[in-house]
Amino acid sequence: MDPNALFLQLLTGLQLGAIYALIALGLTLIFGTLGFVNFAHGALYVIAIYAAVTVAANTNFLLAIILVPALLFAIGVAFERGLIRHFYTRPHTDQILITFGLAIVVEELMKWIFGANNIPFTLPEWGSGLMVFYSDWSAVPAVPVFQEAPSLWVPFIEGFVTYQFWRVVLIAVSLVTVAGLFALLQFTRFGLVVRAGMRDPEMLRFLGINIAQKFAIVVGLGAAIAGIAGVFGGPITQVTPGVGMALLVPSFLVVVIGGMGSLSGALIAAILIGMALSFSAEIANLQQIVVYLIAVVVLLVRPRGLFGKKGVFE
Amino acid sequence: MKFTKRNASRRQVLKGGAAVAGALATPHFFVKNAWAQGECATLGNFPVEGPEVVFGFSVPKTGAYADEGADELRAQELAVEHINNGGGILNTLQPLSLTGQGVLGKKVTYVSGDDQTNPDATRQVARRMIERDGVIMFNGGSSSATAVAAQSLAQELGVVFMNGLTHANETTGKDRRRYGFRQFFNTHMTGLALGPVLAENYGTDRAAFHLTADYNWGHSMSGSIKDATEGEGWSTINRVSTPLGATDYSQFLTAFLNSDADVLVLNHYGNDMVNSVTQAVQFGVRDMQKNGRQVELVVPLYSRLMAQGAGDNIEGVFGTTNWNWSLDNPGAKAFVDSFTDKYGFPPSQAAHTCYVQVILYADACERAGTFYAPEVIRALEGHEYEGDGYNSASLYRAEDHQSFHDVFLVRGKSASERASEFDLLQIVSEVPRSTVEYPVDTFEGELGDYCPTA
Repeated sequence: MDPNALFLQLLTGLQLGAIYALIALGLTLIFGTLGFVNFAHGALYVIAIYAAVTVAANTNFLLAIILVPALLFAIGVAFERGLIRHFYTRPHTDQILITFGLAIVVEELMKWIFGANNIPFTLPEWGSGLMVFYSDWSAVPAVPVFQEAPSLWVPFIEGFVTYQFWRVVLIAVSLVTVAGLFALLQFTRFGLVVRAGMRDPEMLRFLGINIAQKFAIVVGLGAAIAGIAGVFGGPITQVTPGVGMALLVPSFLVVVIGGMGSLSGALIAAILIGMALSFSAEIANLQQIVVYLIAVVVLLVRPRGLFGKKGVFE
Repeated sequence: MKFTKRNASRRQVLKGGAAVAGALATPHFFVKNAWAQGECATLGNFPVEGPEVVFGFSVPKTGAYADEGADELRAQELAVEHINNGGGILNTLQPLSLTGQGVLGKKVTYVSGDDQTNPDATRQVARRMIERDGVIMFNGGSSSATAVAAQSLAQELGVVFMNGLTHANETTGKDRRRYGFRQFFNTHMTGLALGPVLAENYGTDRAAFHLTADYNWGHSMSGSIKDATEGEGWSTINRVSTPLGATDYSQFLTAFLNSDADVLVLNHYGNDMVNSVTQAVQFGVRDMQKNGRQVELVVPLYSRLMAQGAGDNIEGVFGTTNWNWSLDNPGAKAFVDSFTDKYGFPPSQAAHTCYVQVILYADACERAGTFYAPEVIRALEGHEYEGDGYNSASLYRAEDHQSFHDVFLVRGKSASERASEFDLLQIVSEVPRSTVEYPVDTFEGELGDYCPTA
C-alpha cells in the first residue's frame, strides 16, 4: 500500500475514534462510578452543539470553548439531582428507559426550537484550512495555502500529504481530555473519594463524606466532556437534532467493547473502531457491520470487554 | 285455516324485511357498478358521501426530512384553500375545470399524518387515513423509499397517491403503479440534464468518484450520473455506499483523496448532503489539484433547504432542481406570491410539487366528473397542461405516470451574490422538456390494473 494513503487512513481512523472516545468517555465515567446507564448522553451532545453554534455565531468560538462545557456541567448536575439519583437503586432497564425517553424529548425540543434542517457551523479562522504533513519540505508547493498552513514532519511518507487541520485538533483535544480525566480520578483526593464511593458508598457515608455531592459532580463532569465533544465535534458532525442518536449507538458499543467503566478501555476501543471504519470505507457491506462484528468478537473472547473489571455490570 | 297459515311468524317478518332492505339496496350497488362499466367490485372510499371530500397528507413531521415535510404541509394547506376559494395557480393553470368552489360541488377538507420517512410508518399512516378518515386521495413524502411503499398500498386499496418529493427512477420505473403519479423529475432526467453541462465545464476526460447514500434513491442517482458522464467520455473510478444518516464522512473522503479521481460526486440528499459537502469542502477538496486539474464537486440533486443547511460550502457547485421559487413565469409567481403572503417566506421545491399535485388531482376529478378512481386516473394520463410554475407545457405520460417538464441546472451562489437568505441557487440554464424526455421502455415496469389489486 502507498505509504501516504496508509498514513491518511491511520489519521482518519484516529480522528473517527476521537469523537467516539469523547462521547464514550462521559458514558463510561458515569457508568463506572455510579453504575448508571445513561442513554441521554447523546442528547447532552446535541444540547452542546446547539449551544456551541449559537455562542460561536453570536460572539466568538473561544468563548464557546469556555462557556459550553461549563453550561453542560451545570446541566449535568441538575440532571443528576433532578432525575438520575432517583434511579440509582432501580434496575438498569428502568435507567435505560427513562434516559432514552429523555433523549427523544431533547431531540424533538431542539427540532421545535431550531428546526430539523442543519445549522451551518463555520470553523473559526484559526482552525480552518489544512495541515501539512511532510517528510521532505521541498516537495510542498510554494503556494500560500500550503506554506502558511500548520505543518509537522513525519517519517516514512513520500513528499507530503494534507489533512483538515480541525480534525487534527479534535484528535489532540480528545487525547488531552482522556489524560486529564484519568489524572483527576487517579491522582487527586476527589478521584480517590469517587473511586471509593463506587466500591462501598455506605462506608464512605459513615466516614462523613458527602457522597451525593461527589456523584453530582461526576455526572456534571461527564456532561462537560459531552460539552467539549460538542464544541470541537460540532463543526464536523454538523448541527441537527438527530446527531446525538446517531453517535450514541457506536459510542455505547465503544464502552461495551472497552469494558464497562474503563477509561483506557474506552479510548482503545474508540481507536479500534475508528481504524476499522477507516480501513473498510470502500467495502460498503463490511463498513456498515464492522463495529458490531468487533463487538461480537471481543465479547465472545472477553465477555467483560477489553479492560472490564471484575464485578462491574455482571 | 288458510288464514292462519298466512299468519307470519316473527322470523318470517324479519326474513322478509331483510329481503326488502336488500332489494332496496341492490339498485344502488348496481348503479355504481353499471356506471363504472362494471370495472371494479370494490374501490377505496368511493362514492364520496356528504358535502365534503377528504384529502390525506402524509408528510415527514419528524426525522431527517421534517423541514421538507413542514414545507409540504404548508403547500398542501394552501392548495386546499385555493381549491375551495380560488387563487394561486387556479388563475394560471390551463386547461382548468376547477372553479375555486371545491371539487364536484364538495368542499375539500384534509387530514395529515407523520410518515417519519419510514416505509412502515408510511403504510400505517396511509392505511389510517384511508380506513379511518376516508380520504379519497393522499399526497406527500420526501423519500423514494416511502414513495414506493405508498404507491403499492394505493394500488392495493384503490386510493390514488400523488407523489411528493421522490427522485429515484423506480417510482415511475420498476415500481410504477396505476394509482401513483409523480410530478417530480427523476435521476435519469438529472443525468440527461447534467451530463452535457459537466462535460462542457470540466472537460470530457474526467475521472469521477461517487459517494452514494445507501438506499434506492442513492443507487438510482449514482447509476444515472455514471451513465450520463460516461456517455460524455468520463470514467468512473469507484462508487462507495455510505450509510444513511452518517455523521462523519472522513473515511470516505480519505478514500477519494487516495484515488486517482478528480471529480467527487455526492449522491446525497438532505442532511447527508449537507454533511458530506461541508466535510468535503473542509477537507480542502475544492482547493485541490489532481491529475494536474482542479478537483470539482458535483451534487446532482439540489434543494434550497439543503443549500441553506450547507451555507457557503455550495458556492459554485453544480446540480439540478425540479423547480425554484425565483422562476419568472405567471404560474410560479402566482404560487410563490400566495405562499409568501401566507407564510412569510418563499416555498421549496418539495412544497411546489405537493401543491401542484393536489391541484392537478382535484382538477382531474372535475374534468372526469367523478371521484371514481379509474376515471380520474384516465383524466390524468396523457394530460398536457401549463401554468403550473414552468415556462412551458408539462405532460403526464400515460404509460408510466411520470410528468415531463423543464428542469433546472443550478449552481450555488456565493454569499455576496445572494439577495436574501433564501436566494441561494442561481439558475444556470433551463433544460427544456424535450432534452429530459426519454423512451418509456428505458425502464421496465408494469402499471397494473385500473381496479385495485390486493
